[in-house]
Amino acid sequence: MRRGLGIAVWALTAVAVLALYLLAPHLVSDFHSRDLAQAGVFFIAIVGLNILTGYTGQISLGHGALMAVGGYTTAALAVHEHWRDVWTIPLAGIAAGVVGFLIGLPALRLSGIYLALATFAFAVAMPSLLKKFSGLTGGGQGLRLLEQAPLQVTGLSGTVTVFGHSTTQNHFLYYLTWGIGLVAFVIAWLIVRGRLGRTFRAVRDSEVAAASVGIDLARTKTLAFAISGVYAGVAGALFAIQAEIVNPLSFTFLLSILLLVGAVVGGLGSLPGMVVGAFFVEYVPDLSTHVSSKPGVPDFIYGAAIILVMILLPTGAGGLLRRVARPLTTRLYLRP
Amino acid sequence: MTRTTHLILCALGALALATVASGAASETGITSSQVLIGGTTPLSGPASAYQSVAKGAAAYFRYIDAKGGVNKRKIKYVYKDDAYDPSKTADKTRELVQQDKVFAIFNSLGTEQNLATRAYLNAIKVPQLFVASGATTFGKDYKQYPWTIGYQPNYRAEGTIYGRYVAKTSPKARIGVLYQNDDYGKDLLAGLRNGLAKKAKLIVSKQSYDVEDPDVQSQVAKLKAAKVSTLMLFATPKFAIQSYVYAHKLGWKPTVYVNAVSSAANIMGLATAGTNKKQTEGSLSIVFLKDPTDAHWAKDPGVKLYRSIMKKYNGGNPNDVYAVYGMSVAHTFVAALKKAGKNPTRAGIMKAATSLNVTNDPFLLPGIAVKTSSTDHFPLDQAKLQRYHNGHWVSFGGLFRVR
Amino acid sequence: MLLAFDWTQLAQQIVIGLSSGGVFATLAVALVLIYRSTGVVNFAQGEMAMFSTFIAWSLVHHGLSYWAAFFLTVAISFFGGVGIERVVIKPVERAPVLTVVIVTLGLFFLVNGAARWIWSPEVRSLPNAFSTRPIDVAGVAFSIQDLGTIAVSLGAVGLLWLFFRFTKLGLASRAAAVNPEASRLVGVRVSWMLALGWGLAAAMGAVSGMLTAPALASFDQNLMQPVLLYAFAGAVLGGLDSPLGAVVGSLLLGVLINLIGTYVDWVGTDLRLPVALAVILGVLLVKPTGLFGRAEVVRV
Repeated sequence: MRRGLGIAVWALTAVAVLALYLLAPHLVSDFHSRDLAQAGVFFIAIVGLNILTGYTGQISLGHGALMAVGGYTTAALAVHEHWRDVWTIPLAGIAAGVVGFLIGLPALRLSGIYLALATFAFAVAMPSLLKKFSGLTGGGQGLRLLEQAPLQVTGLSGTVTVFGHSTTQNHFLYYLTWGIGLVAFVIAWLIVRGRLGRTFRAVRDSEVAAASVGIDLARTKTLAFAISGVYAGVAGALFAIQAEIVNPLSFTFLLSILLLVGAVVGGLGSLPGMVVGAFFVEYVPDLSTHVSSKPGVPDFIYGAAIILVMILLPTGAGGLLRRVARPLTTRLYLRP
Repeated sequence: MTRTTHLILCALGALALATVASGAASETGITSSQVLIGGTTPLSGPASAYQSVAKGAAAYFRYIDAKGGVNKRKIKYVYKDDAYDPSKTADKTRELVQQDKVFAIFNSLGTEQNLATRAYLNAIKVPQLFVASGATTFGKDYKQYPWTIGYQPNYRAEGTIYGRYVAKTSPKARIGVLYQNDDYGKDLLAGLRNGLAKKAKLIVSKQSYDVEDPDVQSQVAKLKAAKVSTLMLFATPKFAIQSYVYAHKLGWKPTVYVNAVSSAANIMGLATAGTNKKQTEGSLSIVFLKDPTDAHWAKDPGVKLYRSIMKKYNGGNPNDVYAVYGMSVAHTFVAALKKAGKNPTRAGIMKAATSLNVTNDPFLLPGIAVKTSSTDHFPLDQAKLQRYHNGHWVSFGGLFRVR
Repeated sequence: MLLAFDWTQLAQQIVIGLSSGGVFATLAVALVLIYRSTGVVNFAQGEMAMFSTFIAWSLVHHGLSYWAAFFLTVAISFFGGVGIERVVIKPVERAPVLTVVIVTLGLFFLVNGAARWIWSPEVRSLPNAFSTRPIDVAGVAFSIQDLGTIAVSLGAVGLLWLFFRFTKLGLASRAAAVNPEASRLVGVRVSWMLALGWGLAAAMGAVSGMLTAPALASFDQNLMQPVLLYAFAGAVLGGLDSPLGAVVGSLLLGVLINLIGTYVDWVGTDLRLPVALAVILGVLLVKPTGLFGRAEVVRV
């Protein structure tokens, strides 16, 4: 009977989430659906980063650069090869996954602060690299889908028709992003719950112990980098589709910082917390500008918010969720 | 009918539907008492020094509103921070159009930033007025993007002036160029080559730098090593100042042409303070605005107006030449708005903006007119040459056509 | 062939590399200081240094002489650093390392925002501490400013060395960093040692800002951001726990980047940041503790 109750709770949660997903755009204005879609982009990237940093213990300050790989793959395929923007998403994910894997290789010999610095360097260097290969990337001007590949943009006319249903472009972007987000979340959850997830956690908790029970550290770490790269690449592709433009100025080290902040505020090692992290990173800077748009004040408020959250919730929102949920779930599973 | 035209017409249809559905009888952003316009500007990030362009314009609008506005309507100008990131520019511009429902996009700053929104604004027929960027494309590509118009003299034309002047006055010069590795720097360089024409061989060294670089010492040293006698500084203020200082440290004093963006008196002042009077003496540039720090204009009514507006409505640095630019472009907008009549429409203001002949702009050099036509989308295309002498810019010669 | 090679150019570019390296050497020392005493890399170090530079500017603007402003700013920054540690870092002292890293990232935004709020965004300059008059030696030009910047960095490193080696407080600070538990047992106030570390790093950052601003000829709120990565690279090259290494590593890095940029056309001036990245990676892979660092032995 307890078991049945447990399953019922999960089913109810799933239904609630699905309902929220389907109804949300109708609860906010059309334009705000786009904001929600942007939060979705962060969500996907942060889930991937969490797998790497929260579950496998590898710090990365370079995931903004991986998003750049995904975003530019999408834009380049649309502009140079005339692919429809949405069909580029899988390839963008794979491209970033490969780059993630390549980053994972030197990462094998680095850890902690050195890994953070190396990935940080990658993030800082990315705009220069993007500008250098200008034939592919459009250099300093970047790639502008509306001007250079308007036919490849979904929703150019303002409405999108899918399976006979017509929605506005903003709603379409929301459904696309969070739809992929939900799928990505479920996949991440399955990974984390399964054998691979246990392997990741073993590496995080003690590399020596993990190696001593026969875990291949190299394979595990590079796999974690690759998987998180795929997530970042998909997020980057969705970013490019929403913005309809990619430019080196959009992929500076600030993006990488934002992603890590989102992951930690959300709670490393907690997947549901990532929703909180994504919303924090999307809405707090914006809300700060509403408090005051005097120069510097929004950033000041944002920085203060980050610090406050870390002081009050060192393990992030996920930590809080766990503390709150534990009495509830233990009740559910303990025999009387 | 091409597919693109079809799509664009669908967009127009959707927009028309939306307008009807909202029940608005008058144009979007226009009410009986207010005209709402909006734009983006870098309030944070590496280009935040240019925010005065928006602030100066806002101050001028407040001055006009205090006098009653235009046709009994006050002008409300909203500018949002895009941190110089084109993806944020696209986002904020969409917000201004779809959420705030502005009448037109006005005075958005940056080349890549405005390129990011141009196709969108043209597709939905929202005017992209008086773009704050000197990139030639904003005035040149009007056939494809009829709803877009620039303002300042374009960079390519500026480079052409320098090229022609060098070819004429120092045909044996050895020219070296320090240019920023983006559209702005490359446009100036292309103009220089264009102006030199057959004498393009005079360019013996080209060194580029990125806005993320901390310093340009290496580039300056290479230019000196190439025995450059005439240095073209197609660089933003921070790097222009550095170039003067590093040249000084190397014991090198070439003739310098510094581009208009970095020629402001306070920038030149910093360069002189970091070196000595001799290093900046003789530098050349073009000018089209009155410089509020120049004693020459101290009693000028335009500059006095500028100062009084800044004092009353802005409170920022009164010696900021970017704010003067902002006031000039705001003055031009007011002229266009007046021309668009008692019930301005988006199409109407676009027509007004492309048939301007404003000769009374108090912030521009005397003799410069803001002139546009259906085939001329370059509102400002006149400038004078000026030479830096004894700590001041002194203009000389006649008005050039900057085309 | 050897005669055709422009030796003067080479020498000049080496000198320029040293000059560039000297600019970020002091920031590198500040990063090393904070890492050594607290185990944390402070991503906000550059912004704190920039803030100190603005304080110095305000003091000079109000009439103080350059050197008076200099020492006063260093003192203010020291206490500022201590204050930040007590208010912002202390609450997360026991938290996971990443939490502290995020706090420093939050500080990055906060300090940058504060600097934009208090001072307007226009370009300013700090007076030169040292003359920029060119000195020419065999066709190679440099200035006192270049020498002065490097000298001050080395001087600061020397002072730090004396402090850590010969004073009781310095010894306590080192002990607290190496083994906090054991240090507590012998009476060292470990928590206050962390505050001291932050104070010293902030003071060092102030020095770096006040040297960088004149060296780069002008400054605004973006002063340190381009410099930060190079400072990290220099610190890593020299060894993250060695102040002297930070200076030497920075100078070496400056020369390396400059020479590669000058003589490898494909790299040119466009790819200097990726070169720094490559250097960081290379060093970390071959000798993770850098040129001067000590290998860390970790008990498992």
